[in-house]
Amino acid sequence: MESYYSREKLTLVNELIYEIKVKQAMSKNVIFFNENATFREIQLKLKEKKISGVPILDNKKNIVGIVSIDDIITAFDKGYVDNKITDYRSRDVITVPQNFSVVSAINRLEKFKVGRLPVTESSNSKKIVGIITLSDILNRLLVVVQSIAEKVEDKEIKNTQISHDLIKHIVKKPLRFEVKGDDFNNAGRVASITKKYFQNLGISKDIIRRIAIVCYEAEMNICLHSLGGSMAIEVNDDNNAIIYAYDKGPGIPDVNLALKPGFTTASEKIRALGFGAGMGLPNIKRYADKLEIKSSLRTGTELKAIINLGVKNEIK
Amino acid sequence: MKLSKIVNKCQLEKIVFCTDCEIENGYCGDLMSDVMAHAEAECIWITIQAHKNSIAVALIKDIKSIVFTNNVTVEKEVIKKAKEEKVNLFRTNKDSFTVCGEIYCLMEAETAKD
Repeated sequence: MESYYSREKLTLVNELIYEIKVKQAMSKNVIFFNENATFREIQLKLKEKKISGVPILDNKKNIVGIVSIDDIITAFDKGYVDNKITDYRSRDVITVPQNFSVVSAINRLEKFKVGRLPVTESSNSKKIVGIITLSDILNRLLVVVQSIAEKVEDKEIKNTQISHDLIKHIVKKPLRFEVKGDDFNNAGRVASITKKYFQNLGISKDIIRRIAIVCYEAEMNICLHSLGGSMAIEVNDDNNAIIYAYDKGPGIPDVNLALKPGFTTASEKIRALGFGAGMGLPNIKRYADKLEIKSSLRTGTELKAIINLGVKNEIK
Repeated sequence: MKLSKIVNKCQLEKIVFCTDCEIENGYCGDLMSDVMAHAEAECIWITIQAHKNSIAVALIKDIKSIVFTNNVTVEKEVIKKAKEEKVNLFRTNKDSFTVCGEIYCLMEAETAKD
């Protein structure tokens, strides 16, 4: 079960280890010895370079063997540490061709329990062109992931620029709606059209949701409590969405009381539908950056809610 | 966890099932303004309010799945709107408390596995 989850979550890395070639991840600076070296010479080099093994190459750079710390310990043990390596190394050498994906290198490193793999020029050549370790692969992966992240960032910047142009275009074209009193069938219409309208501008989802909630509650208020009215949604030069809601009355006697969570004048019928919980205006207040309400028992109610679109001003 | 798994385990009746999706949280509420204020996007919403306005609220909050409890009647109009807007609708004869409990336990078990 555990491996199932990690596989699910590692899809990008999984994809990348198939895409990245050994050639792109290997280091070309190969420390090697020829067959005339002694175990002691190799041991000193391993210590100096802090590595755990070196390939043995002939004069054409073809691989003929590999000597690891294990081999040197055995040589010490058996007392042939000052001998030439020629007679003693007998293991098969595990290599990986440079045009293979790094996933092959990872598999070989794991399967043969080795720390490094000499890289050959091609699958039918023994000529060594580099050497690869797990840390080389991780480094390369990080570089690739970093460049992908940068590309995503660039794209986001481009998107905000697009929305700048669109916002400029729509500043002059506000949305207008007529909202009828007691019309439950069309309830939510203003909010859903407004939501789609702002989605096209490439504004963040969170801000769009706040705009939609404010529109919905304002629309429901006109529908539930008034004789009908209208709404307008526009964007001003400061990148604020402004939501206006007007109704023809009867007006709110005490605006502060209406803003109190839980206060309601809704009928039983309205409440059975899940409305009129006394949360409409409090919700608007909560999600708008600024809210103004003017209400008169003679002319009706005017609501103005402002939500910043979160788009930074263009750098010129 | 997968919506289809919740539907199967809780034996929910499929009224509209457009697309399977990943469910990470849920909300239970019958007051539209409350759901508006507190439900998280993409959650599973458990309610007894089976009318067109529920779909409108779901759309505004990006809720993709609604469970109607207490075997409430779902009007054709509501089903039609849900299909158009690709909102998944389910029904059960259990009450909201029971369904919430069942889904909560399933989700807890799933998180424990992670």
